[in-house]
Amino acid sequence: MHKTISLALGSICAIFLFFTMISAIRFVQSAWQPPEMENQAADRYRLVLITQDLGTPFWNKVGEGAEEEASRLDANLEVWGTYGEDRENFLKQLEIAIDSRVDGIIVQGMNEERFNNLTKIKASFHGIPVITVASDVPMSDSMRRTYVGSDPLAAGRMIGERLLADLGDTGIVVLMGNEREEYDQRRRIEGIRSVLKDYSGIRIEYVTSSAEEERVAASTRDVMNRFPDVNAFISVDANLTAAMIQEIGRRSQVEPYLIYSFDDNPDILPLLRRGKLDGVVEQSPYQMGELGVRMIMQWLDGENVPLDAEGYPTDIRMLEAEDME
Amino acid sequence: MIGIQRKIWTLTAFVMFIMILIWVMLTYYNQKTQDQYNEILQRYLHMNEVTSVSRQTVNSLNIYLLTPTEGNLSSLRRSEDQLREAQRSVGLLRNEENDFALTSYMNLIDSLLEATDRSIMFESEMELEDSKRAFAEATRMSSYLSEMTLKLIDIELNTYEQFYRSIIEQSEELKKLGIWILLAITFGLLLFTYWFSLGITRPVQQLTKAAQELAKGKFERQIVVHSADEISFLATTFEHMRVNINNLILEMREKARLQSELQRSQLLLQESQLRSLQSQINPHFLFNILDTLSKKAFLEGAEETSDLLVSVAGMLRYNLKRLDRAVTLYDEVRVMRQYMEIQSARFTDRLRLVTNIEESALSVQVPGLTLQPIVENAVTHAIEPSESGGTITVTIADVGDRVTVEIADEGPGMSEEKMRAILEEHDMEPEGHSTGIGFGNVVRRLRLFYGMTDIIEIRSGEEGGLSVLLKLPKTRRSENDDKAADRG
Repeated sequence: MHKTISLALGSICAIFLFFTMISAIRFVQSAWQPPEMENQAADRYRLVLITQDLGTPFWNKVGEGAEEEASRLDANLEVWGTYGEDRENFLKQLEIAIDSRVDGIIVQGMNEERFNNLTKIKASFHGIPVITVASDVPMSDSMRRTYVGSDPLAAGRMIGERLLADLGDTGIVVLMGNEREEYDQRRRIEGIRSVLKDYSGIRIEYVTSSAEEERVAASTRDVMNRFPDVNAFISVDANLTAAMIQEIGRRSQVEPYLIYSFDDNPDILPLLRRGKLDGVVEQSPYQMGELGVRMIMQWLDGENVPLDAEGYPTDIRMLEAEDME
Repeated sequence: MIGIQRKIWTLTAFVMFIMILIWVMLTYYNQKTQDQYNEILQRYLHMNEVTSVSRQTVNSLNIYLLTPTEGNLSSLRRSEDQLREAQRSVGLLRNEENDFALTSYMNLIDSLLEATDRSIMFESEMELEDSKRAFAEATRMSSYLSEMTLKLIDIELNTYEQFYRSIIEQSEELKKLGIWILLAITFGLLLFTYWFSLGITRPVQQLTKAAQELAKGKFERQIVVHSADEISFLATTFEHMRVNINNLILEMREKARLQSELQRSQLLLQESQLRSLQSQINPHFLFNILDTLSKKAFLEGAEETSDLLVSVAGMLRYNLKRLDRAVTLYDEVRVMRQYMEIQSARFTDRLRLVTNIEESALSVQVPGLTLQPIVENAVTHAIEPSESGGTITVTIADVGDRVTVEIADEGPGMSEEKMRAILEEHDMEPEGHSTGIGFGNVVRRLRLFYGMTDIIEIRSGEEGGLSVLLKLPKTRRSENDDKAADRG
């Protein structure tokens, strides 16, 4: 009797002790140490990559390339930026970057007075090197150290040549551009024109619009009303392409028209895949990021001073619907 | 001896120890957690402080620009100092994750201070436009600082997320641990208490059982209590008591037995006294009668009958007195002759006695009534059945240290078994002797008397005739037997 009670109590006690042990072990193991504190700032260059189009595949690629290069060169890089071309915020970020005295700024160029003020006056005042990437701003305006990205002139020429090949030497070509007329847009048009100017049979109609969808649609409508027998569209600003194609599709078949664009917008590649676009100039965003970081590091380390003011072009190639399959 | 009090103390101390252990553990853990929480809060507070101080700085700058007095300037300077102080304390919060942001943050504060100084400088140089622009810049920086603070806190949350979760998890685990510990201790204590109480109650139960046994009167069973406390002392004392009582009871029984025995022996004594008185009366009465008969026979002229009666009375007296008493061989021979005289009266000339006695051998000591039963035996077996009677030859000779007595007859002899039975002192039915003393009795008494066995030899001839040879030593080996015989 006594033995039974003792045994029962003892075994229950042992079971609970076992669970207590397990619980105690888990309790001790669940302790997690807070991150180590550092007393000294890391002795590495602090670089910032700033863009207006954060989150697009194109800029993700740029950021990816930049970060990988930065980790390879042991630099501390952060990607800042705004979503959906928020210019105010973009400029603010640029100013914060300058005010927080980063060692180098890689920025998407923006041909605007305030941008130029920041880069030319403020950044230069603090001695912070600025490199434009993907979109350029002339050195005279921005005092940028160099430009890394596709050569817009060459890209324009590439599209022009493609158009000639597809269209022949007569026809009406509509160039759809952003009314803001960024520097690289102008250079692209320059490139296209330089190819087409020798062909009198080709008429170039240049139309600008703001980035809003309705405005793009309105401009497209307008130009199609004015020139019903238009043969080709070239959207010089990739951000307008989707709206433009939608408007064309609303009025008639898209297929008869030759439509070309650039790839720096997330809508472009799906459109190309569906055959709405006939050709796209594909740029090398990864290479841009990589090269941008490499150049600024070379400048900071004094290995390559001064940098080539003309810029370091990255690869471009013509992409057609067939290439997507 | 472990006292019950000490047992209770041990239990209490054990419980206290566990409670204190748990309390210390919990307190330690709580303190640790609180420290961690404090540290985290401090971080947030330091960051937040920068925001508020930077706003205050801008505000002070604004006031100063509106009314440039010394007082406002000094309050502005104070704000700047506070901002620097906040910057310094924020600088201590650096870790791997927020390194970039924190450096930017600190630099931004520097820029703010710079812009502030620039604004003051332009103001003092009366370049109001530049001063205003610098102020606008400072204002912008202040708002950037707030944003940056949020960003830092965001990074902070991300960095420490794992840590916060681990704290939450740990407190959950602690709750569970507490429950398990509570259960384990509860059952542990139950077990402990059970053993402990058993240690106290079991001896008490054993003692109670023993007391019940005693109450029933069973004093024989030993009281065994397995314990090492006061109960054991009690049990030992109880055991002593039991043993004492048991001894007393045994003693009382012994006494009672002795008393009853005494009573019985007293009764026996009285009875035997009575018998002895009776037995004393009979012989004297018999002697008197025999004497009277003898006188009467003498007076009537029957002298032979008178002599016979005298012989009978003498023999009877000898028989009654001399049994088991040491006498000389001379007496024995005399009694034997008296007996033969009486038998001669019966058998007349059929009985012939030839004696061949050395007188010098007759002084040897022998037990009373040794010869007579042997002779009587010879008469009974050799003379009585024979019509022509027979001769009994008694030879007593001195042979060195012994005296030999040989009684020989001419009867049919004795069977082998009977001889052996006599020599080996087996009991036999007496065969109608006058004295009632048998051959076997003689043999036994002789051996006892001399303390040796080769006293007697019996020889039976093949053509009849029995010869009994007694070899009596001249000195007795045991003198004590005489005295023993005297007493009887």
